[in-house]
Amino acid sequence: VTRVGGTELKPPQNVEVDIIDDTFTLRWARSREPAGNVTVSADYQVPGIADNWTKLPGCQHVTSATCDFSSLKMSVYDEIKLRIRAEEGNNTSPWRELDTFIPFQQARIGPPKVHLEAEDKALAINISPPGAEDSIMWQLERPHFAYSVIIWRNASGAQTWNETHRSRFPRIKIHKLVPETTYCVRVKARLLLQRNPAEFSPVHCVTTTVENELPAPENIQVILENDTYVLKWDYTQDNVTFEAQWLKSYLKRTSGSESEKWAQVQGCERAPVARCAPPQDMFQKGVYFRVRASRGNSSSPWSEEEKFDAGRRVVIPPPIVALKPLSSHSLRVSIGLQDQTELQHYPLTYEVSFWENASNTERKTFVEQRADFTVSSLKPRTVYCAIAQALLKDEPRSQRSHHSNTACATTEAGGAPGALLAAGLTVLLALLVLCAATALGKLVHYVFFPPGKPPATIDEYFPEEPMKNLLLSTSVERTEECFIVENVDTVSAKEMNHLDEDHKTYTSQASQDSGNYSIEDESGESGGSHASEELGQRGAG
Amino acid sequence: MTNRCTLQLTVLLCLTGAALSMNYGTLRFQQSSSNSACQKLLWQLITSPQHCLDDRMDFQIPREVEQPQQVRKEEAMVVMHEMLQQIFSIFRRGFSNAGWNETIVENLLEELDGQMDRLETALEEITKEGKFPWENRTVLRLKTYYLGIFQYLKGKSYSRCAWTVVQAEILRNFSFLNRLIGALQD
Repeated sequence: VTRVGGTELKPPQNVEVDIIDDTFTLRWARSREPAGNVTVSADYQVPGIADNWTKLPGCQHVTSATCDFSSLKMSVYDEIKLRIRAEEGNNTSPWRELDTFIPFQQARIGPPKVHLEAEDKALAINISPPGAEDSIMWQLERPHFAYSVIIWRNASGAQTWNETHRSRFPRIKIHKLVPETTYCVRVKARLLLQRNPAEFSPVHCVTTTVENELPAPENIQVILENDTYVLKWDYTQDNVTFEAQWLKSYLKRTSGSESEKWAQVQGCERAPVARCAPPQDMFQKGVYFRVRASRGNSSSPWSEEEKFDAGRRVVIPPPIVALKPLSSHSLRVSIGLQDQTELQHYPLTYEVSFWENASNTERKTFVEQRADFTVSSLKPRTVYCAIAQALLKDEPRSQRSHHSNTACATTEAGGAPGALLAAGLTVLLALLVLCAATALGKLVHYVFFPPGKPPATIDEYFPEEPMKNLLLSTSVERTEECFIVENVDTVSAKEMNHLDEDHKTYTSQASQDSGNYSIEDESGESGGSHASEELGQRGAG
Repeated sequence: MTNRCTLQLTVLLCLTGAALSMNYGTLRFQQSSSNSACQKLLWQLITSPQHCLDDRMDFQIPREVEQPQQVRKEEAMVVMHEMLQQIFSIFRRGFSNAGWNETIVENLLEELDGQMDRLETALEEITKEGKFPWENRTVLRLKTYYLGIFQYLKGKSYSRCAWTVVQAEILRNFSFLNRLIGALQD
């Protein structure tokens, strides 16, 4: 609310930015003040590029409640910020800043242009993208719009039937309609990766023609027969010839007035039956097929288009099979792939057919996840062969590679003598191993646990028993008297079953070992204690 | 008792994971073999790049495409689709350009169409799952980038050298696409 006298002017309320295709509009609530020359001006700023505010073209001193700033030259993918204020003479309201927005995300998609063509039971809709041909907003989108079509029967009274069809491409055909009926359509466009709201086209109506003498073929299918792709369809009437056409999938993505460039299918120009076998290289990439029937000068309308997409099939290269004899009753099967790199992401299963070469027995089929496995229970000295296919378990059906090479191998000579020989050899080997183990064991025992007796030659040097005893052993009685009194708590005893079980050496560790030992002697044993002392010292030394 | 439950749950999760990753494994395999085919075709198309050195241009591809960091597979799919779409448009524009082997260009358009088709199916799936990354900023930055390429071609009057420079740039695009394909996993 503005006040005459101009003390307090408020900026416009309920400001909205409305973008549709390339038309940019700013709208606000009109001030309720009856008198006064209140005008509105706006500025813009591109935050990512410049920090200054620039006058918004087409929105300077506007008296109405909207202004058009479509002439603004800027990238539609950049963020833009607007501000708006009211003015009256020299008086201005404060700026009201609007939220930043990206025009491309904000824009509504305008109505597309629609062209209808009617057949007896079908309607062909040709759609041109929204916006002008030199549209800046949809410059990069024009060939990639998707469309929604609402179709209904324009019967007097209530509209009883309607359908919505979604189309990825600008040409759509709606089938299974009723002849001599008026149908109406409305179309709107959409983008695949964006959520822009869209406007419907105006209503377009057309009337289907009188029913054709020859109906269109139905149920077009591409099926695989013995590794060959075949085109098949259904037809109710006799005495007709058929013509098939094909179109490369990518051509569906082109919009514009140029009609689709359908081409004749070789070998299907005048087929007498409801099937034909086109050249196989046609099936390498995505392709559409359509068929019509002819009798004399008249022909039926085209059938519904059937898409065949070879690209959806994973091409698994044929595996390589090798057979190796393991024994007289078994063979080892090894499966490899030529190019491992692309297929390392997921597991393959292998279907292996296995048979005896000479005889006419049944083929055994194994389904294996492992690339190496053994086939047993075979006959000796027989030639067996194998062939494999790699499978990829995928919904809705299993994808298969072509067959691998055929690999053959002979099982070893076997039977009873062979078995005995093998058994004999095994026993011999076992015995050898046992002997070696025993010998090794003895050696280990000798090295780590040598016999405890000193060599017999020592008796030569020490014939006297007492001295021998002195060297080798100490009487228990004597050692027991050998106590070092100085530090009681650091006495540790060590037992070593070194030479004799009777021989015990006491080692004492004292923190202060002055070497002087005071031992409380009992008379008569001083000599012995000396000896012990000597030993004790030696032990401590 | 809980131990057995946990074990069963773990097994179930592993199987589910295996099943899901096999789906994306197929997509990854198909996209990457198609991408290799595109690169080979483009190599055949590029002729006499030497005398066009003066027309070189830094188109400034968005950083996050050139050096992708950890990207979710949904975002990777959206970015890939945008790139494939624009590359398709570029070669459609140049189709009638004198001197191009039309068979090679057609094969390239067919490969790109196949890749987009597979991605569109996958994108429909993630839309149903509610995981679609709407308002992805990288896609907008890519649009600015491709707009720059179209404006460059127009500015150079669609000359041979301008096309050669653009072809070389698209070759770089394919190597970035390869990296994005790697993100298509659970």
